[in-house]
This record gives sequence, structure tokens and C-alpha cells, in this order.
Amino acid sequence: MKQIAFYLKKYRAAAIMAIFLMLVELTVELIQPLLISQIIDDGITLQNGSVVLLWSGILVGGTLIAFGAGILSSFYAAHASQSLGYDLREKLYGKVQSFTYAVFNRFATSSLITRLTNDVTQVQDTTFMGLRFMLRVPLVVIGSMIMALVVHAELGFLLLLTVPALFLFVVWIVKKAAILFKKVQQRLDTVNGVMQENMTGMRLIRVFVRREQEAARFARHSGELMQSSTSALRLTEITLPFIVLIMNAGIIAVLWFGHLEIRAGSATTGEVVAIVNYSLRTAGALSAMSMLVSAFSRARASAQRISEALATDSGQTDAAQTARKTGGISEGSVEFENVSFQYPNTDAPVLEDISFKVSPGQTVAILGATGSGKSSLMQLVLRLYEEDQGVIRIDGRDVRELDTLHLHDSIGYVPQEVLLFTGTIRDNIAWGLDNASLEQIMESAKSAQIHDTIEQLPNGYDTLLGQRGVNLSGGQKQRISIARALIRKPAILLLDDSTSALDVRTEAALLKALNDMSCTTFLITQKISSTLNADLILLLDDGHLIAQGNHEQLMENQSLYRRIFESQFGEEGSHVGSVK
Amino acid sequence: MWEALSEPFRHRQPKAKGSVNVVNQATAGAGKRPKPKAKDWKVTLKRMWHYLSHRKGRLILVLLMVLMSSALTLLGPYMIGRAIDHYLEGPGGTPWLLFLSGLAAVYLLNSLVSWLQNIWMIAIAQETVYRMRVDLFGHLHRLPIPFFAKRQRGELMSRMTNDIDNVSSTLNSSAIQVFSSILILVGTVIVMLLLSPLLTVLTFLVVPLMALGMKWITRRTGVLFKERQRNLGDLNGYIEETLSGQRIIKAFSQEERVIREFRERNERIKLSGFWAQTISGFIPKLMNGLNNLSFAVIAGVGGILAIRDVITVGVIVIFVEYARQFTRPLNDLANQWNTLLSAIAGAERVFEVLDEEVEAKDESSALSLQSIQGAVVFSRVSFSYDKGEETLSDISFEVQPGETVAIIGPTGAGKTSLIQLLSRFYEADSGTITVDGHDISSIKRESLRSHMAFVLQDSFLFEGTIRDNIRYGKLDATDEEVEAAAKLANAHSFIVRLSGGYDKVLHGDGSGISQGQKQLLAIARAILADPAILVLDEATSSIDTVTEIKIQEGLQRLMAGRTSFVIAHRLNTIRRADQILVLKDGCLLEMGSHDELLTKRGLYNDLYHGYGQLQ
Repeated sequence: MKQIAFYLKKYRAAAIMAIFLMLVELTVELIQPLLISQIIDDGITLQNGSVVLLWSGILVGGTLIAFGAGILSSFYAAHASQSLGYDLREKLYGKVQSFTYAVFNRFATSSLITRLTNDVTQVQDTTFMGLRFMLRVPLVVIGSMIMALVVHAELGFLLLLTVPALFLFVVWIVKKAAILFKKVQQRLDTVNGVMQENMTGMRLIRVFVRREQEAARFARHSGELMQSSTSALRLTEITLPFIVLIMNAGIIAVLWFGHLEIRAGSATTGEVVAIVNYSLRTAGALSAMSMLVSAFSRARASAQRISEALATDSGQTDAAQTARKTGGISEGSVEFENVSFQYPNTDAPVLEDISFKVSPGQTVAILGATGSGKSSLMQLVLRLYEEDQGVIRIDGRDVRELDTLHLHDSIGYVPQEVLLFTGTIRDNIAWGLDNASLEQIMESAKSAQIHDTIEQLPNGYDTLLGQRGVNLSGGQKQRISIARALIRKPAILLLDDSTSALDVRTEAALLKALNDMSCTTFLITQKISSTLNADLILLLDDGHLIAQGNHEQLMENQSLYRRIFESQFGEEGSHVGSVK
Repeated sequence: MWEALSEPFRHRQPKAKGSVNVVNQATAGAGKRPKPKAKDWKVTLKRMWHYLSHRKGRLILVLLMVLMSSALTLLGPYMIGRAIDHYLEGPGGTPWLLFLSGLAAVYLLNSLVSWLQNIWMIAIAQETVYRMRVDLFGHLHRLPIPFFAKRQRGELMSRMTNDIDNVSSTLNSSAIQVFSSILILVGTVIVMLLLSPLLTVLTFLVVPLMALGMKWITRRTGVLFKERQRNLGDLNGYIEETLSGQRIIKAFSQEERVIREFRERNERIKLSGFWAQTISGFIPKLMNGLNNLSFAVIAGVGGILAIRDVITVGVIVIFVEYARQFTRPLNDLANQWNTLLSAIAGAERVFEVLDEEVEAKDESSALSLQSIQGAVVFSRVSFSYDKGEETLSDISFEVQPGETVAIIGPTGAGKTSLIQLLSRFYEADSGTITVDGHDISSIKRESLRSHMAFVLQDSFLFEGTIRDNIRYGKLDATDEEVEAAAKLANAHSFIVRLSGGYDKVLHGDGSGISQGQKQLLAIARAILADPAILVLDEATSSIDTVTEIKIQEGLQRLMAGRTSFVIAHRLNTIRRADQILVLKDGCLLEMGSHDELLTKRGLYNDLYHGYGQLQ
């Protein structure tokens, strides 16, 4: 909550203005009963018509002032709250982007989405309401109290008695409700999560005919959400009847004692009427309370969730922050020295004691069984994760000393699963390089062997890709993602099994084009055919680097490599040889 | 200081009717312009009522409570006025204590009744929202696959959460308040007329002003609320996409770019939000102002009348209070109107999806097949996405039950599209596809699919344990069956080495298990499903060849006796197929067995030898 207040500080001028204007409005309203009592006592009782007209004229004037102030305050309150919402979203999104990949994965995507939209909206709307109403309630109450005391001290005191009880009650409710609302938001996360999963896995659900099971699962989670919302709201709904009851008790007391005072001659009818009027006003203001209490409790829960994400350590190490602002990598040599790595929150290392050295421009093929650590090795070069032990050097410098931004500028990465964004093909390729020209885009598309396919599309490079580019085949999407990496003219190119959906011929053409680019290339592959020409082959098995060398060396003294070779060329190995 | 104060006025005024310009509207298909007309509202409200009416009994009960609490609310001030005239000003008398007790009873009852009505209404509202959510979700599962190709996931999700949430908050409080406001309004007017027709007419002078003001305001806010919800959906879509693609953003160090693009959307939502909030914020101020105005009029005119002894002071007090009570429900109505508008905007977006046409409904005569043999025939099938260039043209082939068919060809040849037609994700433009002699369009979709098992290109895993993920293929499978399937898919050995084994919980990202391992799990899932027709779409692309050979045996056993379609690039997977279909640019160029095709010396021969050329 404090953190949110901190963000509001920036707009304190607007906020103060909104509150000030509201005060103007309020003052006018609070004076009204006083003026009424003037009209009754000085005007009606004394049979003086001009006094009545004078005071009612003042009432009209006040009304106009209040109206103007109200309209104006709308602008200021909207400005302050919308700007707050904007800043919160911006800060939160920026924060999420600053998370290291490991920290990022600690949050469920759906939870971050809820925080960025739903939670921020809650805070924002409550702020708006707060600037206009939330303060209004206590102010009306306090103002009415003071005025009541001014009008008649003893009777006003009766009204005053009800306040502490009400105050404690509201504080208690808000505290309790905030806990319940936090649960509501958490369950909203879950519902969101199921939703996201279903959207992503829609085809799978269809082909396995699991619609009903998914619907049941969703219904269960929505049901839980319904339950917690209901109980949170029910709690806050106690507020209104209770407050009104207390206030009404106060009114009865005022009537009772007012009656006595009038009899005793120590109070006038006008005074009692004014105080009853103030009590009714207070009750009226308080009737907005239950809505405010639930809004405020909910906003409090949301604010906590936002603060939680904002307060998360982004995981950037000091070394990275103080990294020398080195330029990009010029050569592209890569060296691993005794590197071990384990994913956070797992208990077995995925890579152990890996050492190898790659000279600039070399092609490295990484081979190994499923789950042997190939992709993990690539993620370390990319610095998506940090190695636990050992040193990785690029261009002879410890990567921890390199500025990530510059490092990534010199790396082209093609992930295993295709991730394209909503937008045109051109946008998606240009995504790899700021201000890429159409020539550059086409050039890299040509290298990625996708240019001809794109040209054949009705809108060419301006063809829109839907979510995950559904209308293109898997292989076509893969090649767009390769083009996106190539446009950076990287010093180091990382291909994580990115040619799996390509047919042999296209792949060969692609590899040839890559050969012409003078970058250091890491190639995770299943195909021996792609390793034949590699300068270095790394053979991984269960997290260990069991062999390195070129094709001939490995064929000679590595039985696993020979087995992989035979699995692909086995009986027709000789056949292929004879064609050669 | 002046800088900061003049800032709110620098927001660009929204252009006329529904055109806060949407730059860079990248979300394809989301660009339908809104037409917030009263007619649409009526329809939307009617549909919301349809949801509410599930709980008619409760609703009537709530209505009765509202009736009661409204009456009690009116009774309170009236009694106070009486108290002033009779006891404070007048002679008073013995029943004073009794009178006050009566007032206390009215107050107590009022609190009790309003508590009850709220509690019940919340239950009704939450249940309604729940129903809408579940309906929407169920509906999404009936929409044709192409629908999802054009929508952002996050944008759809926003409808499920942000929009429905809007509806929820309205129903929680507004529905009741609208009712009670109207009731109180009517009651107040009646009592006022009885007390002093002249003052009543004066009080009503402000009503036309209110109507005018409201009209001015709602004409603007209706559009703005819808705009805001759409911008929120757009933002949600962007967030979802960039968070799901976080790995790429990190690897390319594009954080600054996505933050910049995020800011554009954030600004759009700020702008529409600012105007929606500002203008709708006028409503209570307008009401308040008019309220104060009538207050002044009543005090002035009432004062004069009292001097002339036309009315008593008590009547003025009652009137002042009633005038407030009369504008308070109007004020509430106005405020609720506000949330109502934003709820309608939300509900409209929900109904928009509900109105999307579902996968053409299975005809009532559609077959439900108990078991199938697995004979598949494509005859002269052509197909194109979005009526564009043909993706498949004039494809004909026959598959006998139990045969294995390999589909090969360059990328983009139409291999996956062919599978999509067989699973009826898409419908062929011309030609027929039959299974066991039945045209598949005459078979119920779910019946057809339940006889097939698929391993799709993207092996998708749910958040949950490994066991649950495999069991997805057959929900009532025993643990033994799950393990047997995992063994056959060669996944067992890596699973038992994970901490937690089969009970290891996989998270969205699936970090901890590799892409290849995911594919092994997907294969195990298909094995467990035990289908008549098996479809493997690049099922082993991320699996190393040594492991592949190991599962090959399992797959062979699996494919024996069932019709199998295999899309693959690896020739050793293909060679054993009974039939090989060679596709290129959507045409079926060649078909036959491995040996037959080699002797043809066509594309297959080229591809086959292309494999060797790499050496």
C-alpha cells in the first residue's frame, strides 16, 4: 500500500487539487443545514420574508460553486488515477522484463497477466473513487460532527459518541476483507491459468475429445473463485446495515435528549432539526461505506500483489550491473571451463564439468540423447541462466563481465519451439534488428530459404501472422525464426534443433548459406548428416561431455557416436557411401 | 505547480463517436467497430436477464426485501418529521417513548432487511457470473479451430476475466440499488405530493435538467467504456504474448522494444480510461449540483410558504430530507448507470464471443461409431485456408485398415493440412474423405476423434503431474497402464530418474524436461489412447536417433493392426511404411512403397538421394 502511495506522489498536485475541489463542494453542502436553521429561526419564526430570500439566494450561489468544483475535480481525479494506473503497469511490466529468466519462471505467466491488468485496474479505480468519495465520507462525518457541536454542543456530543465504534468496526472489516480478497485474486490467477492452458492446447484437447473434462476442471476452479468472491463480499456487506443501525441509534438519542432540552428551554427547535439533519447526512454518507469498504479491501489485496512483484529481486547480479560497457563481440570464440549447471529448484545437475573451446567462425554440432543437456548448454551461452560453477568465456572474456545487451546483440538464437509474434512477417523478421531495411529483411529471408515462400503469399512480406502463425507450416515458421536470427549478422549463431521440421534438401541449402556467413555456429541436431561437416562435435550424455572432436575422430574412438551414425545410416550406410 | 495542474486538460479530446483512433491495430479480426446503440443494450440486458433468471425464486425474495427496505427507508424520515411537529414543537404527550421505540424498530428492521437482500443478491450475482464464465469457456471449446488462428489468446482471456469482472461488480451492488432506487423514487414522489403538491412540482423542476445532462454524458461514456475494454483486451493480448515469448525477448535483449510497444498500448488505455472516467465522473456531480439546487428552492419557497402558514416547519424538514432522498436514488441510479455502462460494455464483449459460430453443428443424423476398422479414403479432396491459394488440390488415395502411411514432402507441401482435414479441424472445400466407407462429415466429430490418437507437432503438456499428462490419453487408465505406455514410448527410464518420478509436477514452461522428453510423453499419451487410427505428426523430430530406434520397436508394435499416418523426414521411419505419399505444393506427386517409388526415379528418389548428397 505504501508503495502505491509512493507512485501517487508524482501526481500529488492533481490529487490535492481533486481533494481541494471536493472540499469546496463539501463545505457548501455542510453549510446548507446551517442555512436552513437560519431560515427557520430568523425567517419563518420571525416572519421575515426577505431573510428567507437572502439565505436561499446564497444557497443557489453555493450550489453553482459546488457544481463547478465537482466537474473540475472529475478531471483531476481521473488524471491522477489513470496516470497512476499507467505508471504502475509501466513499472510492473518493466520490472518483469528486468527479471532474469530464472526469476521470471518463478511466477506463473497467468498470475503476472492478472497482476498487470486486473490488479492494476482495481487499484486505479479505487484511487479514482478515493479521490472523490473515500475522503468525502470521513469528511462529511467529521464536518457534520463539528457543525453539530457548533449548533448545540451537548446534542452534538451524542452524535460524536457513535464515531469511535464505527471507526474500529470499519478498520476491522477492511483488514479481514483484504485477506479474503487476496484469495479471490489468487483464484483468479488459477482460472486465468486454466484458460491460458486451454487456449494453447486447444488442438490437443479437441483430438483427444477432452472437452468435458476440461470444462469440468474449469467449472471447479470457477466455482472456487465464486465461493471466495461470495464470502469476501458477504463480509463487506455487513458494514452498511451495521453502520446505519449505529447512526440511527444516535438519531433516536438526539430526538430523546433534544426533546428534553427543548422542554428545559436550552435548545431551539431549529437546532434540534439541524442536528437531526446532520445525523441523517452522516448516515447517508456512511451508506456509501460498504461499497468503499469492499473496493478498498480489494484494492489493498491487489496493491499487495503488485508490490510483491515489484519488490522481487530481479536476479541481476552486481557483476552484470557493473559490467564494463564493452562493445559487441567481434570474433566469436567461445570457451567453457569446468562448467556445471543445475536448474533452480531441481535436485540434479543437468550439466557437469563441461570444458571445450571453439575458435571464431567454427561450426559446432552438439549431439546427444534426449534430455542430455544440449539445450541447457545453449541457454548458458545466452545467459538465460547462470552457470553454478566454472567459467564461460567469449572472446576470451568472462561472460559475467560482459554487458548482456551487447552480448545478445552479437548472438542470433533460434529456439526449438517456434515463437512468433502477432504482426506481419516483415515485423517478425525485423524484430531481430532495430530499423531493419526491407533489403536486409529479404537478404536474411533468402539465407533462411524462406524468401521464395513469402513472395508467393498474397501479401508477401506484409502477410499477417496470427497467434503463433497458424497458416504457415511448422517448417516455414521455423525458417522465419531463423531469418529473425540471421538479420542481426551475429558473431555467434545458436540453432537449437531448429531444422527438425525442414526437409533434407531445404536443410542442406540452409546449412550451405550459413557456411557462407562467417559466424561461430552452434548447432543442436539429431542428424549425423549435419555433423559431418562440423569443425567440432560435442557429444553429450546425461549432462556429461563424453567426447569432442570431428566426425572422423569420433567415428574412430566413440562407440556411442558410431551407434548414432549407424542408427541413421545403418544398413544403407554403404549405399550412401557408394553414391558418393 | 501550474504545469502539474494544467496537465489533465492536455489529454486530447476524444474524437466524435467511437473513433479514439487505434493505431497499429495488429490484432487481426478484433477491429470490428462498436455501435453502442440503445437497441444493442436492450439485447445485451435481455441476455443478462436470461442468466439471472436461473435464480428466479431467490430473485423474487430479494425483490420483496427491497420493497420492504424501501418502505422502511421512506418511513424513517416521515417519522422524524412527525416527531418534530408533534413532540418538539407541539404538545407532545405520553406516547413519546412508544413513538421512539417504534422508530427504533423501523431502523432495526431496515438494517436487517437490507443485510439479507445484499447477502442473497451477492450469491445470485456470483452464480450468474460463474455461469457466464463456464458458458463462455464451454463455447470456446465448440468454436472452429480457425477462430483461434486469428485471435490472440490474451485478448480472449481478457474477456473471461476483465470483462466478466465488470459484469460481476455491477450485479453485486448495482442491481439491488437500481431496484430500490426506483422504488424509493416512486414512494418519495407519492408522499411528497400528499404533503405539498406545490413544493413537489418545484422539486421536480430539476428533472428535465437531469435528463438532459444524463443524455449528454451517456452518449459519450457508452463508446468510451467499450473502447477502454477493447484497449484492455489488446493490452492483455500483448502481455500474454510477450510473457509467453519471454525466452526470445531475453535472448534477443529486446526488453526495451517490448517495453516501448507496451507503452503505446498503455497510453491508449490511459487515454480512453481518462475520458471514460472523467465524463462518467460528471454524473454524481451533476446530480449533486441539481440536488443542492432543489434544496435551495425548497428552502426559499418553503420558507415563504411557512411564513404564510401554508405549510409547517416540519413539512420543510421532511421535504428537504425527501428532496435529498429523491435525488439520492437518482444519484445512485446515475452512479449505477455508470457501472452498468461499463458492465454492458463487458457483457457485450462476452456475448460477442458467444455469438461466434460454433463448429458447424453435427447433423442430428450424424453417426456415432462404436468401433471402426480404419479404412480411410480421400477422393479428389481440395482445400484452402481463408479461400486463398489452394493448400491441397485434388488429393486421392486409399488406405486399408491396419496400413501404415508415410506422408513426406518439402516444408509447406500440405502434410499437416491433410491431417487437419482428417481430424475435421478444417473442412475440405471439395471432394470427400471417408472412414470405413462413411463420409466423415456425416460422423459426429467427437465420435470420429475418439477413434483417433494424435501426436501433434507441438507437444503440449498441461500443468500437472507427468502421470496425469500421460493419462490424458485414457482417463480411466490404471497406474500400471500408464507406466506400460511410458515404457513402450521409452519415457519410463527418464521419468523414474526425475525427482518425484511420475508425480513430478510439470509447470507451464516445462523447464526441467527437454523438448524431446516432452515428445516421448506425448507418444506415451497416444499409446495409452489405443486408437484405431494413429496420427504421428513429426512425433519424433526432437528425439535423438538412438532413442528413436528404441521406441521404434514400441511404435511398430503400436502401429501393427491399426491405420497409421506418419509425417516424418527421417527415411528410416518412412521406409517401412506400406504406402508413402509424396506431397509437393499441395499436390500428391507420387505414392507407393519405398521400393516402388525408388524405381520410379521421381521426387522421392531425389529426396532419398538428397539425403546422401550431404556427405
